[in-house]
Amino acid sequence: MEPRTRQFRQGSASALADEQVQRNLEGLYSGFHSARITASAATANWDELRDRGREIKWHVIENLDYYLELLATNVERAGGKVFFARDAEAASNYVVSVANSRGVEMVVKSKSMLSEEMGLNERLESEGIEPVETDLGEYIVQLAGDTPFHIIAPAIHKSREQVSDLFAEKLGTDRIEDIEELTREARRQLREKFIAAGMGISGANFLVAESGTVTLVTNEGNGRMVTSMPKVHIAISGMEKVVPSIEDLGLFLRLLIRSATGQMLSSYVTTVTGPRPQEEEDGPEEFHLVIVDNGRSRLLADEHLREGLLCLRCGACLNACPVYRKVGGHAYGWVYPGPIGSVVSPMLTGLSDAKDLPYASTLCGACKEACPVRIDIPRMLLYLRKELTQGDSYPADRSVDTAERMAMKGWQASMSSGSSMQFANWVGRLGQSLLSRQSGSPGLPGPLSGWTDHRDMPELKESFRSRWKRLQKE
Amino acid sequence: MEEAPKGMNERAEFLQQIRKSLGRSEPSIAPDGPPPAARGPADELMARVEAIEDLASADAEELMAELAVSGEASGWVVSRVADAEEAGRYMLEVARDLEARSAVHSLHDVVREALGGDPFSGTGIELTPVAVDRADEDAERESRAVLRAAMAGADLGITGVDYAIAETGTCVIIPASGSSRLVSLLPPVHIALIERGQVLPSLDELFTLRRRDFMNGDLGSYMNLITGPSRTADIEYQLVTGVHGPGEVHMVLIG
Repeated sequence: MEPRTRQFRQGSASALADEQVQRNLEGLYSGFHSARITASAATANWDELRDRGREIKWHVIENLDYYLELLATNVERAGGKVFFARDAEAASNYVVSVANSRGVEMVVKSKSMLSEEMGLNERLESEGIEPVETDLGEYIVQLAGDTPFHIIAPAIHKSREQVSDLFAEKLGTDRIEDIEELTREARRQLREKFIAAGMGISGANFLVAESGTVTLVTNEGNGRMVTSMPKVHIAISGMEKVVPSIEDLGLFLRLLIRSATGQMLSSYVTTVTGPRPQEEEDGPEEFHLVIVDNGRSRLLADEHLREGLLCLRCGACLNACPVYRKVGGHAYGWVYPGPIGSVVSPMLTGLSDAKDLPYASTLCGACKEACPVRIDIPRMLLYLRKELTQGDSYPADRSVDTAERMAMKGWQASMSSGSSMQFANWVGRLGQSLLSRQSGSPGLPGPLSGWTDHRDMPELKESFRSRWKRLQKE
Repeated sequence: MEEAPKGMNERAEFLQQIRKSLGRSEPSIAPDGPPPAARGPADELMARVEAIEDLASADAEELMAELAVSGEASGWVVSRVADAEEAGRYMLEVARDLEARSAVHSLHDVVREALGGDPFSGTGIELTPVAVDRADEDAERESRAVLRAAMAGADLGITGVDYAIAETGTCVIIPASGSSRLVSLLPPVHIALIERGQVLPSLDELFTLRRRDFMNGDLGSYMNLITGPSRTADIEYQLVTGVHGPGEVHMVLIG
């Protein structure tokens, strides 16, 4: 996928103006977000599970070379092949070479954000191999020549009428507006593809190091089809998806699924360990695992951002984020949108191409709160902002104007000392009449207008510190 | 000198890059400290397994009752029958309601038993068992193709299970002779037969038992956890069942 991370402002403006998109975005909060809260409340010791999950993931990330080697050894022991790909191109080359050597003409795929990241479909097409997305949302997105809007619900920006038009145009069906009928049609179309495909490509939700097992979470059953029907199965995975033991899966499945859709468990969880051995009745004859870096080692190397590799890709931070819920997934311009995308994308595409993303947040902390492994996204966004304004790590990016850099320095200084924060708060309250448009203010002038043009400041009657003191006395 | 296998250079460079990013120069031959396990240390695995097996049989009744509730909540049609014979009659009822003409079934013991009294006799329903002819390569290829076509064309799929999970309303199927990845997936309707003693309290117990299987070299190439029907909400959040897998699923609790 071609990064369009430079265009956050244009992208968000068009999403805000699109009524259909706004209506569909509202459903994220009432749907996924509330379901997550209900499911986590129904899970015994939810917060302890989060701590435990975080601890295990940190351990793996800090010993990633060890666990990847263990994983590879065990996949091979189970009869599978492993390829380590430093970037998207190397990974795509490997997939294409396996497909070509087996004479594969058509590939069925289950949802993989990494595949989007790699631009794998375009690559397969250019080699004359037909890629078929089989997750309903991804199928719609592929037919439309579009990109995923949400990592869990890729086509949630489309209305039934739009899907109906699309099916009529691309599949030659009658105009169907009933959602159930549309789904039946997709089932009919895709069933034939599953039966005919020479290869299945899946992503991976978890890779178990001790047994070489790939774990897939799906609701539609397409993941089971892709890993069972064709003769060859290739799983592609980011290098950060490893967990040490089979016994860790219960914990991580709970964290992932309950945070993603609020189900106690998805309809299907499938584990795959190597190809079908002779004594089993069905399954693929060949199994390959492609482990991909593609910029992830840049996150790993930066100790301020390493935490981003803990991400389980549940999408909870998207649904919780007041910015994502207004601008939607396309504005972020790349595969991983929302708060976690604003941390991960700049590292994978280059920070200078994603300057607006660290600012696409109110730093309200809802993302960290929602995250099943408590990733401190606001901290990392602040770090990236600092890098953009005064950092030395990304010198090409030092193009932000001086006023903003000075303001950022002042903010840092005031945060680091109590007395100057008190002073700043006092100044802040004085300056509120300037900032709050309720009091008829035009906002900040000149170079700092970017901070007030699209923000309105509530009038604070009292500073946090004095309020805290008062409440403690009460 | 022998040439390194394809991909070995890429692997070495890849792992070297990770070490560099972590600020290490030497390969780590062991993690720094034991992994913070979700369940407990590896050397206590067998003690955990024994405790689970005891619990599954001691609490069998409570676990069945709990599964009936969670199964229904996750979209199964749940029924309880006294024995395999009654399960056979239940299967016939489902098949009649569907006006099924064909069914495929696994060879789990409980399925053989339920079909033992020939409940479908006189209905004209064609029954295909999961059985691959391994006499020679040609026979095997031919019989796999026939079996797959039967599974893809069947109106009904019948299986036993290896475990069920009370926490989530889940049926678990792992590889065995006469067991298949596809009987519970390709037909539009799936009936799963569950016996007393097969129900585990939660996901954790399942994965502990599976780790034991792995240690015994008995993991197999797949495991399917099935929790209700195939479903999607990809268009306007509207729930639709039966996308790629079955839209109607029955859980029959026996005993």
